[in-house]
Amino acid sequence: MKVTQDLLADVAEVLLTEEQIAGKVAELGQRISADYAGRELTLVSVLKGSLPFMADLMRRISLPLRIDLMEVSSYGGTGTESSGLVRILKDLSAPIEGRDVLLVEDIIDTGLTLNYLIRYLKGKNPRSIKVCSLLDKPARRLVEIPIDYVGFEIPDAFVVGYGLDFGEVYRNLRFVGVLRPEAYES
Amino acid sequence: MTDEELTRGPRPSFGFAHASEAEFARILDFYQVNWEYEPQLFPILWDLDGNVLESFAPDFFLPELELLVELTTLQQRLVRKKNRKVRRLRELYPGLRIKLFYARDFRALMLKYGRSALVSELSGTLGQVAPHPGQSDVDDSAISEDRLGGLERLGANRRDADASGAGQPHPNPVRRSRAARRRAGRRAAAAAAHQTVTFVTAILVTAAVTAVS
Repeated sequence: MKVTQDLLADVAEVLLTEEQIAGKVAELGQRISADYAGRELTLVSVLKGSLPFMADLMRRISLPLRIDLMEVSSYGGTGTESSGLVRILKDLSAPIEGRDVLLVEDIIDTGLTLNYLIRYLKGKNPRSIKVCSLLDKPARRLVEIPIDYVGFEIPDAFVVGYGLDFGEVYRNLRFVGVLRPEAYES
Repeated sequence: MTDEELTRGPRPSFGFAHASEAEFARILDFYQVNWEYEPQLFPILWDLDGNVLESFAPDFFLPELELLVELTTLQQRLVRKKNRKVRRLRELYPGLRIKLFYARDFRALMLKYGRSALVSELSGTLGQVAPHPGQSDVDDSAISEDRLGGLERLGANRRDADASGAGQPHPNPVRRSRAARRRAGRRAAAAAAHQTVTFVTAILVTAAVTAVS
């Protein structure tokens, strides 16, 4: 993959500005704070894409909470053989039994990863599992999973920024933008 | 999720008609989503006597998700045909959930998984394992009703297929229409009958010659 030095040059269109994202994150934080009042909340961030969203969201929730991180292998993520099964690359560092878990995702498109994660986490006997995703791309959905907190429903485009990558690049953009086809076709 | 589910290995390769189908199956295996390949044939057009004129076998059924998936990574002409079949299926079987996966969806999926190099390889006619008869979509038409056997519950026959060894690597990965398979079966039966007649005739002639001599 050819990576340009100017990340902005590869972005065809800014889909969500920094201000729009900040406003939505604050709104989600308020809703979550109200819904989980008096409960033992654990936010679980799914690495790596949800990292900026998690960092902003947790600071908008006005409740005592725990955070934890998980990482699962992605199909074709090794860049070698596509055979094999999804693996937990980084598991939770603390038990979640009896706790209310909120899975924090950057984007949900096919729902395959989320489906796997929910099944896996249910095996750890939490009190509840809900899902919060900054972006929802329903056009690509294969597994219908209820998303309890959605930031933005976005069109069927290849988006990068605010944690979302293409080939591990563009995560540090402060907005969510549509990647130029030339950037991934080269 | 049980330990058994967590350690479930990928399935053996299958007789897919298109490389994109094989790749899609690998993705489902990777995420431990159960799938069945063309498990059910749905009649979608009948003549006035109730004979099935056209039917449709979606590529995948995901039983846990109760979802049928049809991949269309071929030419636009075939996409239109599949669109029409899916529309008809939805009209006739409103309880079914079917997702049509277009070439652009598949391409996006490959990009997401960093497999952009595979996109051209797996799309369009390049990805075909073998051309379909007459370069058309799978010809599911002209199927007798006895073969359809009513609409069984989706997914019920995959396990049977697995048990009978149908899930083993396919000796010939060419996907032929059911009508073509039936024609081939008739030809094989006729050839076998012809061979038997020839063999019996030869024995009788030999016996007659022996008796005369």
